[in-house]
Amino acid sequence: MARRRSGVTRALADLAGALVPLSVRELEREIADRVKKIPTPLNDYGFDPYGLHPQTALKQMIPSTLLYRWYFRAKTRGIERVPRGRVMLVPNHAGQLPFDGAMLGVAMLLEAEPPRLMRAMGEYWIPRLPFMSVAAARSGALVGTPANCKALLEADECVAVFPEGVRGMNKLWSERYQLQRFGTGFLRLALETRSPIVPVGIVGSEEQQPSLANWERLGRLLGMPAFPVTPTFPWLGPLGLWPLPVRYHIHFGAPLRFEGSPSDEDAVIDEHVGAVRRAIEELLREGLAERQGVFR
Amino acid sequence: MEKVLITGIAGGQGRLLARRLLENYEVCGVDRVPWEGHPRGVTMHEVDLRKRKFEDVIRTELPSAVVHMAFIRHFRADPRTRHDVNVRGTKKLLDHCVHYGVQQLVVMSSGYIYGALAENPFYMDEEHAPEASRSYPEIRDLVEMDALAGAYLWQHPHIRTCLLRPVSTLGYFVHSLVGAYLRQRRIPTVLGFDPMMQFIHEEDVCEAIALALQHNLQGVFNVTGPGEVPIHTAIRETGGRAIPLPEPVLRLLFRRLFAWGMWPFPEGVIDYLKYPVTLSGKRFIEATKFRPLFGLEEIFHSLQR
Repeated sequence: MARRRSGVTRALADLAGALVPLSVRELEREIADRVKKIPTPLNDYGFDPYGLHPQTALKQMIPSTLLYRWYFRAKTRGIERVPRGRVMLVPNHAGQLPFDGAMLGVAMLLEAEPPRLMRAMGEYWIPRLPFMSVAAARSGALVGTPANCKALLEADECVAVFPEGVRGMNKLWSERYQLQRFGTGFLRLALETRSPIVPVGIVGSEEQQPSLANWERLGRLLGMPAFPVTPTFPWLGPLGLWPLPVRYHIHFGAPLRFEGSPSDEDAVIDEHVGAVRRAIEELLREGLAERQGVFR
Repeated sequence: MEKVLITGIAGGQGRLLARRLLENYEVCGVDRVPWEGHPRGVTMHEVDLRKRKFEDVIRTELPSAVVHMAFIRHFRADPRTRHDVNVRGTKKLLDHCVHYGVQQLVVMSSGYIYGALAENPFYMDEEHAPEASRSYPEIRDLVEMDALAGAYLWQHPHIRTCLLRPVSTLGYFVHSLVGAYLRQRRIPTVLGFDPMMQFIHEEDVCEAIALALQHNLQGVFNVTGPGEVPIHTAIRETGGRAIPLPEPVLRLLFRRLFAWGMWPFPEGVIDYLKYPVTLSGKRFIEATKFRPLFGLEEIFHSLQR
């Protein structure tokens, strides 16, 4: 049963459609073609079991792709190293707002062959945010509970986890490109599901919104996990979190495969986590050495 | 022929189940209200579970199996009566089952008892803790009832106890809370939230109960239907109109209107409109080869407004 629209709304929609520049419409077609190549089990209403809705995701991908191509002018290297089938992408995490996750998702869709739909494992507070919760679900992101992650990997999906979590996203300017403490849950899940881990080094995001201080207590009062103070936030309101036009360099490492029991003691798991960390650090070091400047 | 006793037989689901079981069982039932025009094969007793007369029914009927679905799930009743019927009534029934040698017991709990929490994983299995009382204290009696029945699994292992937790049940006959919610013309929802919701048709719930009896199931089982859609899609497909309101406004409205008796849903319901409560029905499917007959579209169309 289609939703009935009045003549006025339809006319307005048509007008809006006509005003969209040709390049954006072409982009939409390009994204749609890539999305079509991804096999996703959908029900009669176009949803997958976790609330992913490719038709909505497509619309949401347009602004991300515009950012990817013309704002962050992202460059990827080594994306062909991502194996087919189940895989866990483990990038660094920074920048106050998760643009790094979004850009990684765009890269997997537009640059990987065949295109992959990346399922981001989100923070626990995302489902609590109005609109954000729906937008995240429709584009395939899920709350990062171990059960969700395990189910997706067992379904041979491409899952992105951010072991730094909020610690990474809200790191200070002085801590840029220094990986924060990693959780160990992701590695236990990789062992349990026998999934390869692809380390990813994202250069750029760590400078997109330099944070000078983190007023965590105030953040907690406002129900946020952190309260960054940057040259523009909170002085310019929410817009103050808009990132600088840094150039993104997304470097993929060789897949790491670990053997062992998921219920090994922390000491054993920590060693594996250390290997992933070192791989990401190496990718970041390379990326930083190669780039000409923050914006170039 | 085996004899089945259905408690709460005059409710929508009870009537359907009685009809469904008549072919293979001798069916008797109890309810607080009469069932006018019940099928000839069904023996109907108009008694309250909490009353002494109910024990007489079990003593004379001596059923070999009992399906327990005599619960108050709406909030129009006095909370104390609700608790009495749901918790004490169940306790009485369980004691009678032990005393009068009932061999099999099916208890109809619900999937709501897991609770709608932001950190819920998708597709929770039966081992997930029932956490509904955290944000939805109004249904803690149903959570307690579930625990009470679950305890009989190990306290009285010779009785084959089966605890079924179906997802949101919709249909023409059944009176479910989610049915009442979706039957409204204008439906308040939470602005900016659209969680996935699972549905099952009332006839498929009957089928699931019949399968549980047939397989002599013992244990706790989630029962899931053909699939899930976001709540706004469900509203649209059942022909309603969603009115998204900001959460603080919605909370105030629910609280006030419910307190004044002008609104059938307490504030705790709001979390179910925000966060998904999705169950994995794998265990039940593996045990019984259950496959729902009705698809989502048919489920939505079966909702009469």
